[in-house]
Amino acid sequence: MLQSVDIENRLITTIQEFVSDWGVTSEIDSTTTLVADLEFDSIDIIQLFVAIETTFEKRNLGFQDLLIKDGRYVDDLSVREISEFLKAGPIAA
Amino acid sequence: MTKTVLIGLDGATFTVLSPFIDGTCPEGVVMPFLAGMISNGFSATLASTAHPLTPPAWTTVSTGRTPGAHGIYDFVRFQDMGDDMYFTLYDARDIQVDTLWQIASRQGKTVTSLNFPMMAPPPEVNGTLIPGFVSWKHLRRNMHPTSLYDRVAAIPGFDPKELSWDFEREGQIGELMEDGELRRWVENHLPRDRQWYNIARHLLDEDNPDLFTLMLDGTDKIQHQAWHILDPKIWDPDTASDDAKEVRRLVVQYFREVDEYISELSTAAGPDAHVIIVSDHGFTGSDYVVRINAYLEELGHLTWRPSDGSEAGKRRDMANFANLDWAHTKAFCPTPSSNGIVIRKQSEKCPNGVPASEYEAFREQLIADLLKLADPESGELVITGVLKREDAFPGPMMEEAPDLVLTLVDHGFVSVRNRAPSVVVRPVPFGTHHPDGIFVMSGPGVRATRGPEMSIVDTAAIMAHSVGLKVPAEFEGRVPPALYDPDWRAENPVRKADPVSEPKVAAPRSGEEASESQKKEMIDQLRALGYIED
Repeated sequence: MLQSVDIENRLITTIQEFVSDWGVTSEIDSTTTLVADLEFDSIDIIQLFVAIETTFEKRNLGFQDLLIKDGRYVDDLSVREISEFLKAGPIAA
Repeated sequence: MTKTVLIGLDGATFTVLSPFIDGTCPEGVVMPFLAGMISNGFSATLASTAHPLTPPAWTTVSTGRTPGAHGIYDFVRFQDMGDDMYFTLYDARDIQVDTLWQIASRQGKTVTSLNFPMMAPPPEVNGTLIPGFVSWKHLRRNMHPTSLYDRVAAIPGFDPKELSWDFEREGQIGELMEDGELRRWVENHLPRDRQWYNIARHLLDEDNPDLFTLMLDGTDKIQHQAWHILDPKIWDPDTASDDAKEVRRLVVQYFREVDEYISELSTAAGPDAHVIIVSDHGFTGSDYVVRINAYLEELGHLTWRPSDGSEAGKRRDMANFANLDWAHTKAFCPTPSSNGIVIRKQSEKCPNGVPASEYEAFREQLIADLLKLADPESGELVITGVLKREDAFPGPMMEEAPDLVLTLVDHGFVSVRNRAPSVVVRPVPFGTHHPDGIFVMSGPGVRATRGPEMSIVDTAAIMAHSVGLKVPAEFEGRVPPALYDPDWRAENPVRKADPVSEPKVAAPRSGEEASESQKKEMIDQLRALGYIED
């Protein structure tokens, strides 16, 4: 079973590799936000979820529960929010 | 040496190509190489998938299976959460069967696959694969092998932004453009296929894969926006504006370049290679805007989500996804490209859905109502066909398909936006998909004739045979008897293989419970594999 710290580290590594060709110079840590800090658009978010599923070798992680709150798509996501979601979900199970 | 070259031209149609081939257009012969291929080789109309759309149709080309088996129906798939609907993109992992690239790889053949949709994240193949419809930001990690990016980046002139999919630009398809704006839009599209050709030429020359495949999609994009400039029945140079004439010059130049790409790649492959030109669907002009969800609201089957006036809300209203009050929606069209109607069945999370006992009656009444939708001006009925999914998409993945698939009188795509009235006439005909695509083939043993209509599902069988494989037993198509000279065919018979891979069990997506029919299908497949004893 993956430890919480492993999940967050692997997530950050995945995001670092993900944006490696984008010219993004920001350091990525748990406070980094996808849209405001890394200039993600909606397609990038979908692609990131594919990359995360590939990293953790699991599909259908239920990202819709992370993206839709109170009937609306959220405006942004932080690394911490994704990490906490993964820790609470099937990755940690 | 390369045995088989397939060049896909997205949306290519003889309606546009014939004048460019026979020289009956004002510009004379625009595509001399293709003209030679057709006069010296085999050509036919190629009937597309039941719903002629790029993702399901190209997946049928690459798998030899129809959508009910491969499971791809649209660009977008959705998950019904009861009180909301989660939309996301189909990707390669959603394809439920093997592609020919994978099958050929397992049998020791080398392959190249360039710009085909639904190929990201890339499956492992014995060769090179670059998926299409991917943003430049995601190209590197979606290439196979991963070192391929640095290899193609070293090709002179390589520009990932020109090569790849610009979602913002493609999102403009369907918008009415003045000719000046259309000229700029077309200009921006032309470099992409040059980029793909440059990569293709390098990989063909350097790797000589047994099976080489490239898809060019500029044909589709340009025909969508510039149909009124390409359709021989509409184009009139005597009345066209200067901007329209410039657009015409650009698109004709584009088709000249496509002809050169085909010529160069065919020559590079050599005379012993089969060269196949194929499209996923054809094209025609659409005259109507059919706001299908507005009509379903009139019928009482759906309720729009109230707008909160926010910028996010406005963007959501204008998106190409249905934006509805899901607690009060029984039937809806999810996306314009689907041309499908989804009937929500009653369940714990969808208590207002249609009860199972009423489903058939509800569906029959809905079909009858859909077929009554008419243009209020002319009275013309705008929906000419409504297929039930078991008729359109039979197979283990059928339950992932919309319950109904619509064919409009002009073959157009529906609109899912909240606007009235339900039917209006477009100011300018807009290019839309037609079921009749193209098939052209040349090379050893290929007859010089125009053949009878073929099915798009035949393409994979033809490629498999051409590259020297037995045709997998699961393939639904065939090698048409008229394709080859009898003597050559006798020397190179079509051999059928046993199933080459364990059939994938049609598991439901997103962790949903399997339906009774899916469970039966799984049990049947497991029984066939010997995992369940009777």
